[in-house]
Amino acid sequence: MATYQLNADRDLIENPSPRCACMLVLDTSASMFGAPIRELNAGVQAFISAIQEDDMAACSVELGVITAGGKVTEQLPFTTGMNISQSRQFIASGLTPLGEAMELALDRLEERTESYRKAGVAYYQPWLVVISDGVPTDQWQHVSVRARTLAQQRKLVVMPVGVEEADLEALSAFSTRPAKRLDGLKFREFFLWLSASMSRVSASSSTTDQVKLPPTDSWDSI
Amino acid sequence: MQARSLVVMDAQGKERRLGKRLERGGEGQIFALRDRHDVIVKWYHPELLAKRGEELHRKVEAMRTLRDSQMTRDVCWPLIRVYDQQRRWIGFAMYRARGVRMSFLAHALLYQRYFPGLDRRRTVSYLIRFIEIVQQLHEAGVCIGDYNLNNIFCVPTSDQVTLIDCDSYQLSVDGTFYPCPVGSPDMTPKEHQGVSFRHVMRSPRSEAFSLAIVLFKCLMLGRHPYDIVGGDDPVRNLRRGNFAYGRGARHVPQGVWYELWSELPETLRDMFVTTFTVGADAPGQRVTLPQWHAALCDYREALAAGQYSARLATPKGPRRTQTGALHAR
Repeated sequence: MATYQLNADRDLIENPSPRCACMLVLDTSASMFGAPIRELNAGVQAFISAIQEDDMAACSVELGVITAGGKVTEQLPFTTGMNISQSRQFIASGLTPLGEAMELALDRLEERTESYRKAGVAYYQPWLVVISDGVPTDQWQHVSVRARTLAQQRKLVVMPVGVEEADLEALSAFSTRPAKRLDGLKFREFFLWLSASMSRVSASSSTTDQVKLPPTDSWDSI
Repeated sequence: MQARSLVVMDAQGKERRLGKRLERGGEGQIFALRDRHDVIVKWYHPELLAKRGEELHRKVEAMRTLRDSQMTRDVCWPLIRVYDQQRRWIGFAMYRARGVRMSFLAHALLYQRYFPGLDRRRTVSYLIRFIEIVQQLHEAGVCIGDYNLNNIFCVPTSDQVTLIDCDSYQLSVDGTFYPCPVGSPDMTPKEHQGVSFRHVMRSPRSEAFSLAIVLFKCLMLGRHPYDIVGGDDPVRNLRRGNFAYGRGARHVPQGVWYELWSELPETLRDMFVTTFTVGADAPGQRVTLPQWHAALCDYREALAAGQYSARLATPKGPRRTQTGALHAR
């Protein structure tokens, strides 16, 4: 079983950067076996490396990872970029309990923003990125309403991304913005775009304004 | 766009080759000039030129009329018109700023990496120089408007300060008013909140408020004056004048922050309290630039005389090996 030596409380005390919480909800079901899971793992690793190369982003971005593959696993509780030491390789197996994974992600985001408020740490609008290659195999409709409402209230940016034969309609239900389809297995390009977006957010002196994001043409397709 | 193949022209039609792209921002790209390492070129994005090119051109031309040798040394002021090969205006050339962004100085966990040996004497010297440059701009009728620590460069080995990204500044030339159309609510006084920045007229009093936030963030190693425990976001706190370090010092974030605050001279602390509490609502109550300048000069002298500790109280810093890892241990 995974154990973590978190020092999140000290980080909220010592690090003055406004935070940008970024939760990744990743479909690691059996259909992701082979090249997709390999590319996904490489993409997440590239994301962490890119964030760590940008000192401001490394102090500002807090990454959390939840996987939905057979069961829901919290792979990484929210951790500031500079404090992530190594990336675990995800394994593809089982069904896709995406509804449960999203519910957990929203709970964790709510807890984290409450921690920011209690510690007097400013924060940018948090991000929730959900990546899937299929359809959720559990109940997901109620949690999609919860996610979409937060997005409508501009309390959360929800970024749904479909891989290969993903059900874009179901993924789009989680957000106010339509799901984008990944071009082939361009996970690495997607995660580099995500890190560039996070860098822009963390370089912004405004915690309340929207930031203009880089174009997505390196990774999305029609 | 590939930097290697880019060629621009000056007003005389002389071709100049661009070097490496240094930055890509919301408005345009910044390029090095191949044969002049001290000069850079701002090339506005084509879509922005199509939409607001004439307006930008007029403002940059107005700015060029204000240039003088002093200003162009301290501020990356537009100096030379730049055209593409079809002779269309696309931006301007300016001197390149040296140093490191002030946002790295105003950060408890990063300043030692970017400003080795930084102490309060050096921080205060940068701030005094910064105020002098802003005063010089104000004398020319120019307001910064969009205060952003990323647009202030400090040379780690001296007290040299240079301002960048100045084509957004507010100015008036020959009876024409050019607004500063951008800004950040976190750095903007209450009277200019909730209004499109394009329609705002900045004043010395509004500038004094934003400048005080810059001073506070540097002296407090990155803390925003309106970061409050259990409170709202900094912008809501700003609108209410909820400054945690005022009388009673309630809701100050845990950690080294109160120690940093209490090490400041009482005069400076009073000036911050006035500006961020009553001054939040009443622009006339805010401490002015000459008052900040005088108080910081006094502080620098007192630091040199050993009356205050020049050492910066700091947190312990990041502990990469002890903290959360995606890897199961």
